[in-house]
Amino acid sequence: MSMSIRPVHPVFVGEVSGVDISQPLTSDQVAAVEAGMDRYAVLAFRDQPLTDEQQLEFSRNFGELEVTLAGQMAKPEDRRLGDRLELGDISNLTARNQIRERDDRSRMYALANRLWHSDASFRAIGAGYTLLHGRVIPGVGGNTEFADMRAAYDALDDATKAEVESLVTEHSIVFSREQIGFADYAPGNEDRLRPVQHPLVITHPVSGRKSLYLSSHIGGIVGWPVPEARAFMRDLMEHATQRQFVYSHAWRVNDLVMWDNRTVMHRARRFNDLKEVRDLRRTSIKGTGLMVQHAQAAE
Amino acid sequence: MAIEIRQLHPSFVGEVSGVDITRPLGRADVAAIEGGMDRYAVLVFRDQRLTDEQQLAFSRNFGELEFTRGTGISKPGELRLDPAFADVSNLDTNNRPLARDNRRRLYSLGNRLWHSDSSFKAIPATYSLLSGRIVSEKGGETEFADMRSAYDALDVATKAQIEDLVCEHSLLYSRELLGFDLTAEERATMQPVRQRLVRAHPASGRKSLYLASHIGSIIGWPMPEARAFIRDLMEHATQPQFVYAHKWRPWDLVMWDNRQTMHRVRRYDESKPRDMRRTTVGGTEMTVAQAA
Repeated sequence: MSMSIRPVHPVFVGEVSGVDISQPLTSDQVAAVEAGMDRYAVLAFRDQPLTDEQQLEFSRNFGELEVTLAGQMAKPEDRRLGDRLELGDISNLTARNQIRERDDRSRMYALANRLWHSDASFRAIGAGYTLLHGRVIPGVGGNTEFADMRAAYDALDDATKAEVESLVTEHSIVFSREQIGFADYAPGNEDRLRPVQHPLVITHPVSGRKSLYLSSHIGGIVGWPVPEARAFMRDLMEHATQRQFVYSHAWRVNDLVMWDNRTVMHRARRFNDLKEVRDLRRTSIKGTGLMVQHAQAAE
Repeated sequence: MAIEIRQLHPSFVGEVSGVDITRPLGRADVAAIEGGMDRYAVLVFRDQRLTDEQQLAFSRNFGELEFTRGTGISKPGELRLDPAFADVSNLDTNNRPLARDNRRRLYSLGNRLWHSDSSFKAIPATYSLLSGRIVSEKGGETEFADMRSAYDALDVATKAQIEDLVCEHSLLYSRELLGFDLTAEERATMQPVRQRLVRAHPASGRKSLYLASHIGSIIGWPMPEARAFIRDLMEHATQPQFVYAHKWRPWDLVMWDNRQTMHRVRRYDESKPRDMRRTTVGGTEMTVAQAA
């Protein structure tokens, strides 16, 4: 049975069938998934029971894995998934597998995932793909939403396209957390919190399509007064997350969803996280750094 | 000629004709306008060539006026207008556009966030009246969102969840969102006040969401959870079906009920003058008791 991809949204997102991703993939299958990512930006694989090891193995088909910032900043005894920092814990559980208390610091930090963002855009080289696997899914809510930044770019008017073409933005985890009133970082993380620069408009290396590289981690535009930059970013975010650009993924157990952080933003929606468990595991592929060269060229 | 009101949006906003608001109004006209406000929440009057005095006189038909709050952002001598006006222009006292990094300009960018006027006061405003003297040719629309329809469209569980929630509002919070640096003296003038999240209109009895970017917390909630929740509510409440965008013509006067709507200004070319003058009618009661 060969792999096939069915579009599930007018502008992006494909559902993949005909492949068992718990098993080693052939190079043809890897190439087909990559081609699907270039075209659809988000791919959903249904009914794929995976162990952590299998998820890591599948992810490594697409490049070198990133370690998660939350994992880096957490004390070892607070990490539920142990010392494998390549495995991001996207759950509402403590290290002892209990639902986090309402004022749990990790819960506060993770609430910013409800803001639209692109993974690791606060790093000099942002993430390429992210892969998220659903282990326990709440009965109500907790969807992950995706917004197509290529379609959002295409829909800008010509004057705005010209205006944003050479802009360089500043990203930090501090900026997204600040918006929800969180600023509780352990000492020793200063380097991880320092803003990095990225171009606002990036070009996909394969398709050549332009997209808006937006994220709630943005706190400024180089050369702009901060309040003006933030007001403009809010307008662009609102434009880019209009309904016609958004797909909402309703999770089922054993879904694996992968997306390209260079061409989509995403966010989690609310669920009753004080009563229900939501356990997802995340792996991310390091980006290629093309965007940084672009940023330097723009300076 | 009697006052007539033509509805401009499926759920709210009326355009008023048959009245010259530069002249003193009779009791029946005032009552008709108040009735229109209860129903439409936003009223548009076209071609009303008001002087400042006439705008003040018209506004006073609806209650006592609020004075511009003393935050210290504008220094004495920087005021272009009488203190009964909020100067919603991009102009200095010589009527020239403010420089890009002018502090008053950066502060006023907070008006591009959805808000309800004076929600940061313990007794917040009822009506705001905005007169367009010099308008932007491109951009600069004022958008309004109907907080009654937004409330009605919530699901039953959310309505029950928010019914008795109390929020804290302050200029601190809206300016923080834009990264505007406030001095200690300015911050001291911006102590948060409490407002109910759901309020009922005294005339119609209709419930509405009392939302604003000035909200920074919900009493009894961890702050990040409150902020994330308020963002979700804001997004719900400002969906296209609840929003009217007012494209300004010179000498439009638009008045709105801050108890039933939010509003914001859209981006415009700030190298050109935009001169808008706002009067604000003060409320008479708190939405909830303040912290002791």
